[in-house]
Amino acid sequence: MVEHTGIRVVHRGGSKINFREPIFTNDSRYLLCVSGESVKVYSTSTEECVQDLHGHTDLVTGVVLNPSNHLQAYSCSADGTVRLWDFTDGILIKTFIIGYPIYSIHVSEKHAGVVFVVIRMATEKFSELFQIVAVNLPRSADQDIEARELSAVLCDVSPHPGAASFGRGGEYIASAKGLQLEVYFFKNQKSYRFSLKSGMKKGINNTFTCISCHPKEDCIATGHGDGKIRLWRNFNQKKEYTYSTLHWHHNAVSALRFTPEGTNLLSGGIESVLVLWRYTQENQKNFLPRLGAAITHIAVSPDGSLFCTSHSDNKMTIIQSSVRVSAVIQGLVKSDVLQTDLMIDPGTKALVLNGKPGHLQFYSLQNDKQLYNLDIVQQEYIHQEGLHQFEVVKVAFSTCGDWLATVEERKQKNSELEISLKLWVYDKQIQSFGLNTTITAPHEDQITAMCFSPSSETTLLVTTSLDGYFKAWMLADHSDTKDVASWSCEFVGGYHRLKPGCFCFSADGSLLALVFQEVVTVWSPTSWEMLTTLSQPPGDIRDICFGRLSCSKYLVGTSTRNQLFCWNLLTCSLVWSTPMDVSLLQADPLSENMAAFCCQSGNSDLFVFKPSEPRPLYSKKTLCTGKVQRAIFAPRQQLLESSDEQSQWLNRSQLYFLTQNMDLLTFSTKTEDDRLLASSKQIDMDDSVAVTPFYLLLGKHRQQQKEKQELLAERTQLPQGTIAIKELLHTPAHVLPSASFLCSMFVHSLLISSSSAREEKEPAEEEMESEREEEDSEGEADPIHSRQDLGGSAAWCLVDESGAPALTKAQERELRRVKKVDHSWLSSILDC
Amino acid sequence: MAADGGSSSSGQPCVFSPKSHQYLALCAQDGRLRIWNTDSKTLHQEYVPSAHLSATCTCISWGPCRTVKEGPQRKKRKSEAIPVEERADFLALGTAAGSVLIYSTLKGALHCTLDGGHNGGVNCVQWHPENGLLYSGSDDTYIVEYDLQMAKRCKWKADRSSVTSMCVSPDGKMLLSAGQTIKMWDLETKEVYRKFTGHSTAVTTLRFATTRPPDSNGLYFLSGAAHDRLLSVWQVRDDGKDKNSVVSFTLTDEPQHIDLVASSGKEEALRLAVVCKDGQLHIFEHFLNGPCKKPLSPTCTVQMSGIEDKPLPIPLLAAALTTNTRSLLLAYGNRLQPVMETVEVNTAERHICLSRDVHSTLSLSMETTISKVKTPVVNSKSKVLLPGVPGHQAPVKTAEGSEKRKKGTDTKEMSIEERLGEIGLSSGKGSTQGVPSLQTDSYAVLLVQGLESKDSNILNKVFQTRKDVLIKKTVSRLPLPAVLPLVEELTKRMQGHPYTAVLMVRWLKAVLMQHTSYLSSLPDLISQLGVLYRMIESRVKMFHKLTKLHGKLYLLMTQVSTSDSNKAVTDVDRTAKLVYEEESSDDDVTGDEGLPDEDSDNWEEEEGMEEELIEDQEDREGAGLRTESKENGDSDMDPGNESEEE
Repeated sequence: MVEHTGIRVVHRGGSKINFREPIFTNDSRYLLCVSGESVKVYSTSTEECVQDLHGHTDLVTGVVLNPSNHLQAYSCSADGTVRLWDFTDGILIKTFIIGYPIYSIHVSEKHAGVVFVVIRMATEKFSELFQIVAVNLPRSADQDIEARELSAVLCDVSPHPGAASFGRGGEYIASAKGLQLEVYFFKNQKSYRFSLKSGMKKGINNTFTCISCHPKEDCIATGHGDGKIRLWRNFNQKKEYTYSTLHWHHNAVSALRFTPEGTNLLSGGIESVLVLWRYTQENQKNFLPRLGAAITHIAVSPDGSLFCTSHSDNKMTIIQSSVRVSAVIQGLVKSDVLQTDLMIDPGTKALVLNGKPGHLQFYSLQNDKQLYNLDIVQQEYIHQEGLHQFEVVKVAFSTCGDWLATVEERKQKNSELEISLKLWVYDKQIQSFGLNTTITAPHEDQITAMCFSPSSETTLLVTTSLDGYFKAWMLADHSDTKDVASWSCEFVGGYHRLKPGCFCFSADGSLLALVFQEVVTVWSPTSWEMLTTLSQPPGDIRDICFGRLSCSKYLVGTSTRNQLFCWNLLTCSLVWSTPMDVSLLQADPLSENMAAFCCQSGNSDLFVFKPSEPRPLYSKKTLCTGKVQRAIFAPRQQLLESSDEQSQWLNRSQLYFLTQNMDLLTFSTKTEDDRLLASSKQIDMDDSVAVTPFYLLLGKHRQQQKEKQELLAERTQLPQGTIAIKELLHTPAHVLPSASFLCSMFVHSLLISSSSAREEKEPAEEEMESEREEEDSEGEADPIHSRQDLGGSAAWCLVDESGAPALTKAQERELRRVKKVDHSWLSSILDC
Repeated sequence: MAADGGSSSSGQPCVFSPKSHQYLALCAQDGRLRIWNTDSKTLHQEYVPSAHLSATCTCISWGPCRTVKEGPQRKKRKSEAIPVEERADFLALGTAAGSVLIYSTLKGALHCTLDGGHNGGVNCVQWHPENGLLYSGSDDTYIVEYDLQMAKRCKWKADRSSVTSMCVSPDGKMLLSAGQTIKMWDLETKEVYRKFTGHSTAVTTLRFATTRPPDSNGLYFLSGAAHDRLLSVWQVRDDGKDKNSVVSFTLTDEPQHIDLVASSGKEEALRLAVVCKDGQLHIFEHFLNGPCKKPLSPTCTVQMSGIEDKPLPIPLLAAALTTNTRSLLLAYGNRLQPVMETVEVNTAERHICLSRDVHSTLSLSMETTISKVKTPVVNSKSKVLLPGVPGHQAPVKTAEGSEKRKKGTDTKEMSIEERLGEIGLSSGKGSTQGVPSLQTDSYAVLLVQGLESKDSNILNKVFQTRKDVLIKKTVSRLPLPAVLPLVEELTKRMQGHPYTAVLMVRWLKAVLMQHTSYLSSLPDLISQLGVLYRMIESRVKMFHKLTKLHGKLYLLMTQVSTSDSNKAVTDVDRTAKLVYEEESSDDDVTGDEGLPDEDSDNWEEEEGMEEELIEDQEDREGAGLRTESKENGDSDMDPGNESEEE
C-alpha cells in the first residue's frame, strides 16, 4: 500500500484538559494545563487558548512552574523527557532526557535545579510499583540534555500526582498510598510512616485519595475514600502524631488544596460542590454547589485570588476567591460511551453529541470550541454514584435543521425501561428550540435507530426498536383547528417478528430500507407498502446506506460475517460484494462517496469508495489503534479545489471520526495545509510599546537612562576615535606644545569623530526617537513635520532632521584635512 | 475574498471579525466595548477602556487574522493538532481623545495604547492587510501610520478638513482617505496618487470593491457620505479621467454598516450588503464594468419587526455576507444586547420582512454566558402523547399479515357469550316494561338527540346517570345507527378526566353487552375501535404498577399520620407540664403522662391492623379482577375502570 503523503490524519481538538491539575501563572492571568501531547496555555479572563506548547511525543503527564523563574514551566511526559518552556512566547527552552516514562512531576522552591518525578520502580518490567526520584537538572547550554543523575526519595508511592505534596516550602514531602502516609524530611533524611486501620470490614473505605500540605505550618491534610478529611499534625515523630477529622463529603474526596497562605482548605469530590474550610475554624465552611460535574483537581493561583477546579466532563471552572464562578473553559465533553451518534446541526453547522448528563452539546468544529449545551432532559442531575438517571440516547435533525428529535431513557435494574421521545421545533422568532411533542413510551423496548426523512414534502420521523416494530411519526397538520401542528404515529410496521436494526432513507426520501437481521426490506414511505426484500446470508446486516447523487440506485450494506455488498435497486440484484470486516459505514451526504472503516488485528483501516466503482478512491491502513467508534462527514464551509485524485473526496466535506480513546480525528489535505500556512502570517506586536500608565512612566525613565548611557558611551568612545588624540594624551605633558596651540586642533579632532559617529548612529536614533514619541503620554505635537503643501500634492514629511547631513559632509571634508595635518605634526614631535 | 472588517464612523461602531465572522465587536452608548460570539450568540468579553466616558470609542477595526501556531515544524508526524484556523485577535479602537488603543481579544486585555498621534479625535482606523501597520485618520487633518512591529510612527497632513474615512487597498499599496474630497495615496511614497471630488458632505464610508491593481482600469471603490442616500462607485482609471462616479446605489437612508464581497474579475459580481441608519438592510449585486448612468436600486431589502400586536421595527445593526451566497449573518436589536443570526435569504424576493421576538432571546443569551447551557422552551403548548392517547400508535402492519385482526376477532368471540347474556337480559326486560320504560325511552331519545346535535349539555345530563339498570335499558333502546357515534363519544370522554371516565365505563360496558353483534358486523371495526382498544390496553398495563404504588403510598401515609399524631400528643404533654397549679397538679401530670403511652400503643396496633387491611384489600381487588376477567367478555373494561379510580 502506497502511503499517500497528501492526506494526513490530524487531531481535531477536543482533547482532554482535565487529565492533570492545571497550574496558574504567577500573575494568575494564564492557566497551564496538559492536553494530550501538548501543554495548553489558557487565558483566565477570556477562556481562550493563547499558546499551545508542542514538542512531547507522548502523553504529557504533568506541568509545573519553574520555581526559580516564574515565566518558565517544566512539563513531563510518558516519552521520558522533562521539557522547560517559555510559555508566554511558546518556546521550548530545554529538553532533559530522563529515559523512563514519567507519571508526575513535583518541584519546590527549596530545591532549585532539582525536579522530583514519579517513575516505575523496576524500570525494565511493567511493574506496578512507583517511586519518587529527585533529578538533578544539569546546567548546560545545549538544547537536549541527558539527565541521568537520579536519586530515589520515596519508594512505593502512588503514581497519582495528587498523592504527593511538598510541605513548608520543601522541608518535607508527604506521599500517600493505600492506607499508608509517608513523610520524608529532607533535612535529616528521615522518613516516617503512619498507617490507618483498614475499615473494610465495617464497610468503610478509608484509603487515602489525595494529599495537601499546609504551606506555613506543619500540617498535612489527607482526603479519604469515605469522604473524610484528616488533618495530621506532629508527624515528625513515630509515636505522638495526632490527627483530626473533618467530614462533609459523602463520597471519596478527590481533590484537596490549601490556599497559598494556608488560611483555607479547598476540597471537592463527586458531589460537584467545592467546599472551602477555614483552617483552624473547620466548622466554618463555604460551599460552591452545582459545578456541573465531579471535581477531579483543584488549583489555586499563587496570590490566592483565583481557584480552578477541573471536572470530569472535560471542563475547568475558574472561581474567584469570593466563591463566584468567573469563567468556564470547556473542552469537548466526552463520556465513556457515546450513546448518540455524531450529528451535524444543519443550522449552526456544529457537531452535536452527548454533552453534560441529560444535555446535548453543540461543538463548533471550525473554532474547536464548545458553543453550548442544550438541556434536553430538564431534570436536576443528582451527582451520586450508582444512580441511573435519564440520558439522551438518540438524536436526529431534519435536513433543514428546523426539527430536532431526541430520545431519552432511564434503565434501572429491577424496573421497567422508561423512554420518551421528544420533538423540538426550532422557533426562528425566538431563536431557540421549543418542545412540540413529547411521546412517552414510544416503543416497548429500547430504540435502536431514529432518522428524519430527507423528503422535503412531508416531515416524517422513523424509529426502530428492539420490540420488533418500527414506527413512522408524522407531523399532523391541524390547519383547520387552532392547535399547533403536533406529531402523531402514522404507521407501525414489522417483519416476521424480527428485530429491526439500522435503516436508511434514499436521498429523495422516496424509499426506506430497513434491516431485519438478515433481511433488508424496502418500503415506500408514502403508501407504507413493502416493495421488496433483499438478503445476503450468512450473517446479520450491520449497516446499510443508500448511494447519493449519481449512485442513488445503489444500496450498500455490511454484514457481521465480513461482507461488504452493493445491490442495484433497479434490478434488485447484487452488483458486487467483497469480503471485508466493515465496522462502520458512512455516506457523504454531499457526494457519492462512502467511507468504510474496517477493524483488523486491533487497527482500523479506512476505505473510501463510490458504490458504482468497486475500486476504492482512497485507502489508508492502520488509521488508528482500536475500533473507530463513530464517524461523520461534515460539510465544509469553503470548498476545496483539489484535483488530486487521492484527496478529491475531501473537497466538499470533511470526515471526522472518534477512536476508541474518544479522540476526535480528521483528515487534512495538502492544499488545506498550504492554505493555512499562507494565511498564517503573524503580526508581531512590539511589546515595548507602552501598556500601562506606570509602564509609560517607567519606560520614559528607562529611555532617558538609556540615552544618558549612550551619550556617555559616545563620549568615551570619542577620544579613542582618532589616533591623534590618543597619542596626544599618551605623550608626556612636558614635551607637548602650549595648550592654546593644541586647543583648536583638539576641538577640531573632536568634531570629526563626533560627526562620523552621528552618521553611523543616525538610523538607530531615528527609530529610538519615534519610539519615544509613541511612549509619550503627554502627546506632544511633533515638532518635525515641516512644509505643508497646501496645494495638496505632496504634504508629507518623514521624521528626520532636515538639512543636517549636507552640513556634516562639508565639515567632514575639512576636518579630515585637519586630521591629516594634526597627525603629521604629532609624529614629527614624537620623532624628535 | 471578503473585505476585512472596517470601521463605521457614524454613531457607535459595530464590526464583525474578518473571515469567519466569529465575533462581533460593538461599542455601545456606555462606552464599553463588547465582543459577542456569533456562533453561540453569547457575550464573549467586555472591556471598559480606562477613559471610556471622556474618550469614547469612535471607531473599531479588527486586525488581520492570525493563527496561534506557526507551521513549519509540523510536517512528519502522523497525527498532530491542526493549527486552529485563523483567529481574529487584535482590535484597534480610535477614541475621541486622539489615542488609539489596541486590544487583544485572545488575552482579553489592552495590548497597548498609541498616544500622541493626533490632536483631535480619531475618526477612523484601518489595518494594513499584511504588515503590522495601522492607519488612523483624525479631526486634526492628519493621517498617522503606526508600525507596530518596529514601534515607529509616521504622520502626514491629508486634507484641509478632518479625515473622516479611510481604506487600504486589498494589495496593500494604496490608501484612500476622505474628508470631503477623496484622495488616493501611494503608501510607499506617501504621495497623492489621485483625487476624487463629488460628495458635498463628509464621506463616512470608503471601501474597495475590486481586488485588481490600480493601473488595470479595473480598480473600483465605493463611498458613502453623511446625510447622503447614495453610495457612489468610482473607477480608478489609467488615464486619470476619473472625475465622476461611475455607478451609484440608492439607499433609504445614510449607510451605517457596509459589508461587501469584492469581485476579483469582470465575470464576478460585486456583492454588497448595506445597513442604513433607519435599520434596513439592502443587498446589491452588480457587475462592475464601466459607467452606468441610472442609480441602481437594491436587489433585495431586509427588514425586521417584532412580534407584538403592533409590530415595531427592529433596527438592524450590521450584516455580513458569507461564502454561501444565500446566507447572511445579521446582528439586530439593542446595541447593549444584540442578537446575531444567520439567515437564509432568497435574494429573488425584493422585499423580505423577518419577525423576531427580541425580548425572549435577550434573556436567553445572557444566562448562557457562564453556564454555557441553553434551555429550550418547554411550555404547555407542547403536546404530550401517552400510550392510549390517539396518535401514540397506529395500527400495526406486519409483512406477514396483520395480527391485529386476531385481536379484533377476540372480541368477536367473546361476544357470543355476551349475546347469550344479552338474550337473557332482553327476555327479562320484556316483563318489566311499564312506567320506567317511558323514562328510559326518553333517555334514549335524549341521547340520540344529543349525539346527533353534539350538544354537550344533553349528553352531560344523560351520562350523569349511575344506575346500571337505567343505562342498560337506554342502550338497548338505542337505534343501531346511533351506536357508533355513542362509542366514539364515550371514547372521547374516557380520554378526559378519570372521574368522568368512571361513568363512561358503565356505558361502554352496556354498549358492548348489547350491541357487540352489530359492532362485530362493521367492516372497519379495527379503525373504529382501535383507539379504544389501545387505550384500554395501556391502562391495564399500568394498573398493576399503580396498585403497587397505591399500597406503598398508603402505608407511608398512615405511618406519617401515626407519627404526627404521636407528636401531637407529646406536644400536649409539654403544655401540661408548663401548667402550674397549686394543689391538684400531681394528679394531673401523672394522668397526662399515662395517656400518651396508651395512645401510642393503640396506634401501633391499629397500624398493624391497617397494614393487614390493605393487603386484604389488595388481595381482594386482585382476586376480583381475576374472577371478573374470567367471567366477563369485556374484561378489558373493568381493570381500566379500576385504574381510573386509583
